[in-house]
Amino acid sequence: MRVLLVEDDVDLSRQLKLALGDAGYAVDHAADGEEAHFLGDTEPYDVVVLDLGLPKIDGVSVLERWRRDGKTTPVLILTARGAWSDKVSGFDAGADDYLTKPFHTEELLARLRALLRRSAGIASATLSCGGLRLDPRAARATVSGEPLRLTSLEYRLLHYLMMHQGRVISRTELVEHLYDQDFDRDSNTIEVFVGRLRKKIGPDRIETVRGLGYRLTPLAGESDGT
Amino acid sequence: MTEGAGGEANPEAARTWGRWFGRPGRSLTRRLIWLASAWIVIALALTGWMLTSQYQESALRRLGNMLADTIDEVVIATNATPESVTVAAIPDAKTDRALSGEYWAVAELDSEDGLRFIAGSPSLAGEQLAVPRDLPRRLRAATGTTISYNDPGFLHPPLRQPLRVAASLKSLPGRAEPLVFMAAIDRTNIENDTRQFATFTWTALLILGLGLVIAVFLQVQIGLRPLFSLRNEIADVRKGKAARIARSYPMEIQPLAEQVNRLLDHNQETVERQRTHVGNLAHALKTPLSVMLAEAGSQKGALPDMVRKQTEVMKAQVDHHLRRARAAARAQLLGERTPIAEVLDEMAVMLERVFEEKSVEIDWRAPDDLGFRGERQDLQEILGNLMENACKWARRRVRVTAGPTGLGQMVVVVEDDGPGLPADQREAALERGARMDETTPGSGLGLSIVVELTRAYGGRITLADSDLGGLKVLLELPAAEA
Repeated sequence: MRVLLVEDDVDLSRQLKLALGDAGYAVDHAADGEEAHFLGDTEPYDVVVLDLGLPKIDGVSVLERWRRDGKTTPVLILTARGAWSDKVSGFDAGADDYLTKPFHTEELLARLRALLRRSAGIASATLSCGGLRLDPRAARATVSGEPLRLTSLEYRLLHYLMMHQGRVISRTELVEHLYDQDFDRDSNTIEVFVGRLRKKIGPDRIETVRGLGYRLTPLAGESDGT
Repeated sequence: MTEGAGGEANPEAARTWGRWFGRPGRSLTRRLIWLASAWIVIALALTGWMLTSQYQESALRRLGNMLADTIDEVVIATNATPESVTVAAIPDAKTDRALSGEYWAVAELDSEDGLRFIAGSPSLAGEQLAVPRDLPRRLRAATGTTISYNDPGFLHPPLRQPLRVAASLKSLPGRAEPLVFMAAIDRTNIENDTRQFATFTWTALLILGLGLVIAVFLQVQIGLRPLFSLRNEIADVRKGKAARIARSYPMEIQPLAEQVNRLLDHNQETVERQRTHVGNLAHALKTPLSVMLAEAGSQKGALPDMVRKQTEVMKAQVDHHLRRARAAARAQLLGERTPIAEVLDEMAVMLERVFEEKSVEIDWRAPDDLGFRGERQDLQEILGNLMENACKWARRRVRVTAGPTGLGQMVVVVEDDGPGLPADQREAALERGARMDETTPGSGLGLSIVVELTRAYGGRITLADSDLGGLKVLLELPAAEA
């Protein structure tokens, strides 16, 4: 497994390189944002450990560039700023996990293992509907190439609609597939989730068929598989 | 806005009452209205007094002229000799008719300053005109002039007639002793006229006065409207409905509005600067702490153990004090409104990703228009820590519900289906902050920062059992009006 370690602090880099090496990773190290971006762009890493406070280009920008270029390598961000707003902006840029400094080396290793397990076997058949794409194995969705930030309930709703796109699906049917147990089976909640989904994927993709339910269709003029 | 409705009987009405009838110094409106009203009342009262007294005077003057004419006629008709005084008939029917309302009399002064009537008009019907005690003396003092006075009415009921009397001391040729000529006229009509005029005048002035006071009231209300509207805007800023003063105002108070905005900006700037300092300090300290932790962790022995333990303490202290400073700096900030649904969504998406291996499912519900009256970063901090905590302990499910409770408050409930927390440990958990989550990996302190921030916002946090099986955290926070 190849890991890219991006950290500007000399001592911390040395320690982490040692620890990662001991854990069986092949480690490449970058000490600034420019180098990190270049390495991440050219080498096929399995996972990236990215410090956010970097010289030249900051970590969030590096991550944003990778994601814009279609790199899906899982990224764990290290941040000294433990504020949730920083974590949120890291996630918005495309991070998969975060770790607040100071941290225990064992925890970093555990998080990396988890990330690698999750990302294993990502390439799989994706569902698509117009500019919407959904990868059921990775549980990720995109609209016009932009990653969608969905909660698991929203994701499940979208998944079901995409599997049955073009067909009108009743609220009752959706409720049954949204919740695994007999929990909160109130069909009004479907309206709530459809409303949230529309906010995220665009208002016109999910059509309300009065009295019957909902239908997912590609937008007019949008070709499938973009 | 129903501020404190239910508590005080009706604060709006009380305020209106106070505005008009309290101490004048405390309200501009009141001051302006009272001042204008006082001037109006004084000016109108003066006008009324002048009009009525002028009218009365001219009425009396008219009466006086009539009386003088009568006296002249009597003088002409009088034939005086040292022995006798006779008055010929005056060609005027009115003084000939009994109790007609017009009278005359001729008298002479006797030695003891009294009057002795010599002749009288037939209208007197045997009665005598009343004479004030000092009249003879006054007549003697001013021979030839006419002295007028009011007589309350010399005649018996039912013909009580208040009279206006004129008396004049004149010397006639043919008689050495001067004679007193008197004429009297009923003043009932004149008095009625005067009274009617006064009633009319005062009514008209009262209507005019009321009209003016209403006009002043309206003028003040309309004139001060920009001030009231500015006050409402500032209140909106305080309640978190608006961030700045947005409307434009008349040039007299526009500078005030601008100063308020500048103050808000300054406030914002100060807070931002403080946050930057705090962040820089955190960043500067945390990387060295990481190095120490990693270095100590890689070696065995008493010294590395001690370093590791102390580093943990330092880390906790740094977090604690920095967050405390941040919490204190922020809670005073005005005018912020954070939509809670947005924050819940970003937290849910992020935490589900972080806890993906556990496949934790976060089900959140909040009305779209519900806002937190405070900083977005603080709400992120509060909800992030609570939800992360819930995710750590949950087996699979985390539920977050937020809703308004009225009175500018809202409640957020975070529940999980984990093992929960026994009732006797809850108090301690809140007191000490969140040492209890040390058994699951990740930094502690989650709950302590939540408690601190919540308190800084004047909110409240309670722990209870969830029907999902785990812990239920109830959070009361200030809500911003939509």
